[in-house]
Amino acid sequence: MAVRALLLLALLVPTGLRAQPDTIPASDEEDYSQYDDLGFADEKAKRFAHPKVLDLSPQRFVSVLWDAQGAYTMRSSPRGSWPEEADAPVAEEARATYTGGLRVQANIPVVSRNSIVWQMQANYWDVRYRLSPTISTDSSAGLLRTLGDRGLRTTGLGTTVFKPLGETTFLILQASADLSGDYFLDDPQGLEHLRYSGALMWGRRPHDRLQWGVGLSRTYRVGAINYIPVVMYNYTAPNRKWGTEVLLPARAHYRRTFSPRSLLLAGYELEGQSYRIEGLSTGADSFEVRRGELRLRAEYQRQIKGFVWLSVQAGYRHDWSFNADELPGGNEFFRGFFGDQPFAMLNDLGGAPFAQVGVHLVSP
Amino acid sequence: MRTSLLLLTLLLLPFNFLKAQAPPDPGDRLIGVWEPSHGKARVKIEKIGTKYYGKIVWLREPNDATTGAPKVDKNNPDEALRSVPLRGYRLLKDFSYTGTDEWAEGTIYDPENGSTYSCVITLKDANTLDIRGYIGVKALGRTDVWKRLQAK
Repeated sequence: MAVRALLLLALLVPTGLRAQPDTIPASDEEDYSQYDDLGFADEKAKRFAHPKVLDLSPQRFVSVLWDAQGAYTMRSSPRGSWPEEADAPVAEEARATYTGGLRVQANIPVVSRNSIVWQMQANYWDVRYRLSPTISTDSSAGLLRTLGDRGLRTTGLGTTVFKPLGETTFLILQASADLSGDYFLDDPQGLEHLRYSGALMWGRRPHDRLQWGVGLSRTYRVGAINYIPVVMYNYTAPNRKWGTEVLLPARAHYRRTFSPRSLLLAGYELEGQSYRIEGLSTGADSFEVRRGELRLRAEYQRQIKGFVWLSVQAGYRHDWSFNADELPGGNEFFRGFFGDQPFAMLNDLGGAPFAQVGVHLVSP
Repeated sequence: MRTSLLLLTLLLLPFNFLKAQAPPDPGDRLIGVWEPSHGKARVKIEKIGTKYYGKIVWLREPNDATTGAPKVDKNNPDEALRSVPLRGYRLLKDFSYTGTDEWAEGTIYDPENGSTYSCVITLKDANTLDIRGYIGVKALGRTDVWKRLQAK
């Protein structure tokens, strides 16, 4: 009998070994000190600088935004050759009672490795104007009327590459091509009118709360092409309640973090592009409005549900530039901050309050 | 004497039998200690039942900078879980080996923002994992590369 019992036990013991818990243990008595002194199993493995710092506002996969400005006055000179400081006569004036439209943006990761991160961006911005003409002289070229009839659009593709050089240093390469003008999507302007922007930056990430960089950019942020230094400074305070998100001169924001699901940004952004006006362009020559805006703003972002976030923005839009250039043969030229090339038209926009609301699908 | 020999044989037989019959589970190559790309934590992946789970076993900064106390899951959307220590926290859950070096049907939790994402794990080589967290479809995701750790 005893032998039989022993045999039965011997047969059952391995069954007990096969049994595994189906649930996660409630308590954990593991000695965690055993994980203090570990190294990579692959001796060739390296650590690389991470592309983010703690608590940055969430990266957005897809955004749909509505932007609208309050009323202001637009003035336009006759077409000619006007130094920037010239006291040009007003040929056309209108009260803009509505300026705004839809913005759709996408940012999709293509390659996401420790050693390189490559993302592609696409964007479509639409600006419509509701104008009440107040002055229209015989010398007017009809720019404001054209804006009221057709509005402005920007469609672009971009790419960003983050390349770590080591555990704390990195390079960022950014490039984009934008088609900007008064075209409609069903009748776009030719790709020869694409405008190219780019930036190259070297940076350091000394710890999880700081990332800074310096570099050079080719930009249309103030309307006309410019080559300017760029400085990045993304910082989060040790108490994780505030920080900065800075990419000078394009934008600079103070960030107040209420929770991982809500935050406030306060600062400014420069927005701009060179918009070809088809009706005022003749042949290969391109008539382009150098639109640049300084937007002083505050933006509240919060999670709605899951990965869907809401942003609400309000501020004041200052007209940095709305002058126009004639580009013979469509060829771009460089004026920079100190060039004295005359404009083909001097335009002036009054300042205006603005608001923007957006819904975003944010990235992991 | 014969009875004793018989008993010994019977006692040892099942173990030898199991050892000989059960080939190593290819899914178990996921088991081990891994370091995410940010290097702030180490994650031990283990098998419980038929599924794989990963818990934080090491933190570069184990204590909260403000309070000095061990870090807890303070960003969890469930208030009741905000006092749970981060060390020991299971952030990878419910992965099943689907073959072709892939573990799927699991989730990954990000303690930095309290979000849980769908996740698929791919073994790139014996010491490298691609951990892809995504939203709905894999295209809307981000891949992090984890490296296997071992005792120095």
